[in-house]
Amino acid sequence: MSLLSVENLVAGYGPVDILQGVNLTVEAGRIAVIVGPNGAGKSTAMKAIFGLAQVRGGRVLFEGQEITRLPADTLCGRGIAYVPQERNVFRSLSVRENLEMGAFLKPGNIARRIAEVLTLFPPLREKLAQAAGELSGGQRQMVAMGRALMLEPKLLMLDEPTAGLSPLYMDQIFDRIIAVNKSGVGVLLVEQNAKQALAIAHTGYVLATGRNRFTDTAANLLANREVAESFLGG
Amino acid sequence: MAALSDFINLYLLPGLVVGCIYALGAIGISLLFGILRFAHFAHGDMMTLGAYLAIIFTASWGWSPYAALPVAVIGAAIVALGLDRAFYKPFRRAPGIVSVIASFGVMLMLRSAIQLIWGVDVKTYDIGIRFPMEFGLLKIAPRQVTIVLVTAALVVALHLFLTRTRLGKAMRAVSDDADLARVSGINVEQVIRWTWIIGAGLAAAGGVFIGIQTKVHPNMGWDLLLPLFAAAVLGGIGRPYGAVAGGLAIGLAQELATYRWFSDEPFVDPGYKPAVAFSVMVVMLIWRPTGLFKGRS
Repeated sequence: MSLLSVENLVAGYGPVDILQGVNLTVEAGRIAVIVGPNGAGKSTAMKAIFGLAQVRGGRVLFEGQEITRLPADTLCGRGIAYVPQERNVFRSLSVRENLEMGAFLKPGNIARRIAEVLTLFPPLREKLAQAAGELSGGQRQMVAMGRALMLEPKLLMLDEPTAGLSPLYMDQIFDRIIAVNKSGVGVLLVEQNAKQALAIAHTGYVLATGRNRFTDTAANLLANREVAESFLGG
Repeated sequence: MAALSDFINLYLLPGLVVGCIYALGAIGISLLFGILRFAHFAHGDMMTLGAYLAIIFTASWGWSPYAALPVAVIGAAIVALGLDRAFYKPFRRAPGIVSVIASFGVMLMLRSAIQLIWGVDVKTYDIGIRFPMEFGLLKIAPRQVTIVLVTAALVVALHLFLTRTRLGKAMRAVSDDADLARVSGINVEQVIRWTWIIGAGLAAAGGVFIGIQTKVHPNMGWDLLLPLFAAAVLGGIGRPYGAVAGGLAIGLAQELATYRWFSDEPFVDPGYKPAVAFSVMVVMLIWRPTGLFKGRS
């Protein structure tokens, strides 16, 4: 049984369907990555799972149970954490408060979990009292991931976590995604930096115009010439 | 010296007391805007409701209005939760203007209900005559001290709630970004319920203070609406602390504007006090629409 499986998902915003029957699976403790050109529906797939885009067909299963169209707090309670691409921190709240908000559904043992997040993201240690909106893009991404991990999720969904970051922060974030995954958390990743993302992933999905174009192990996709030429920039 | 004590006794202290009352109302307007993204026009009538709920206890059982205050606060909070469930919750996903119009409807309903139940006449709490405490030339009425101290205590309590408790922090988080709060697993409906409880509760306390200070009548909430919104705008809408500062500033500005600043005549005729609040609001909206404390535009 897969951790997450998305079957024939049709979804979009308003009257427009962006996804036209997409299939995805994330195995427990694995990293799956969605790559593809702009407008392929990569982010929409995540948003549809979390109720931020309308689902018009297909279904989503988590640990074998249907979760299609369930409210966000129910999904969080089941163990799915989601980090949106933009506006992913509470800007006026301190870093510590951001982390505490991640634990809203599970208020016990907050100190221990904050300590774990700080071990994973040491740069946040000195920023705990600072407003999250004042941090650099890379540190904000760490706060956002930390907030999501406070739920102790089984699946972490990251929407373009390296968008707009300097190469140095980009490497750090990919490195931290590997570390999170090593602790047993399944990861679903949407990425523009397709090569780097496939390099850390187990499975890859190439989406184009709202449909699956290629589905394979990440290593095979990296080796596939057609994928490389069309989607990975040669 | 006599001129200075006059200034303090007749302008500064009353301005401070009125400012506290405005602050209590404006906090709710600001909090509700931050969480629900609409201007709650029935908020003045929540204050009226609080004032009349206290009358039940002062008139029927001879309670002191201070003893009736907590009961009025709880009563108004319960009514607000009911109103939210019936008239605002169905429009949660609709554009904000729909809720604004709904709040106009609620405003008219509340006022009419109050007129039906309690009549249209002016009422008072019958506190009897209390002599002011005299400190040299300064004359301070006990009720002024109570109003200022209770308001200060409520504002401190609100601050502790917003910065120290899980629910208070969640309230700030929802005000910051409601969508992110939702996907983070924060129970937004629970936060909304507490926003109504706090906003309506503080408004009711302000309403009871007006009754203690002057009198109670069904249109008092309507008269308050302008200064309350001026205070919320001045403080930066969506910022509860800004609303406190804005309330005090508007209250003081209204009273101090009537002082004999430049001649033996009041600088602004007391009949034009509401115009002072209105002018402040217009100037702020032109000069700095996000308010003094950088609220939302």
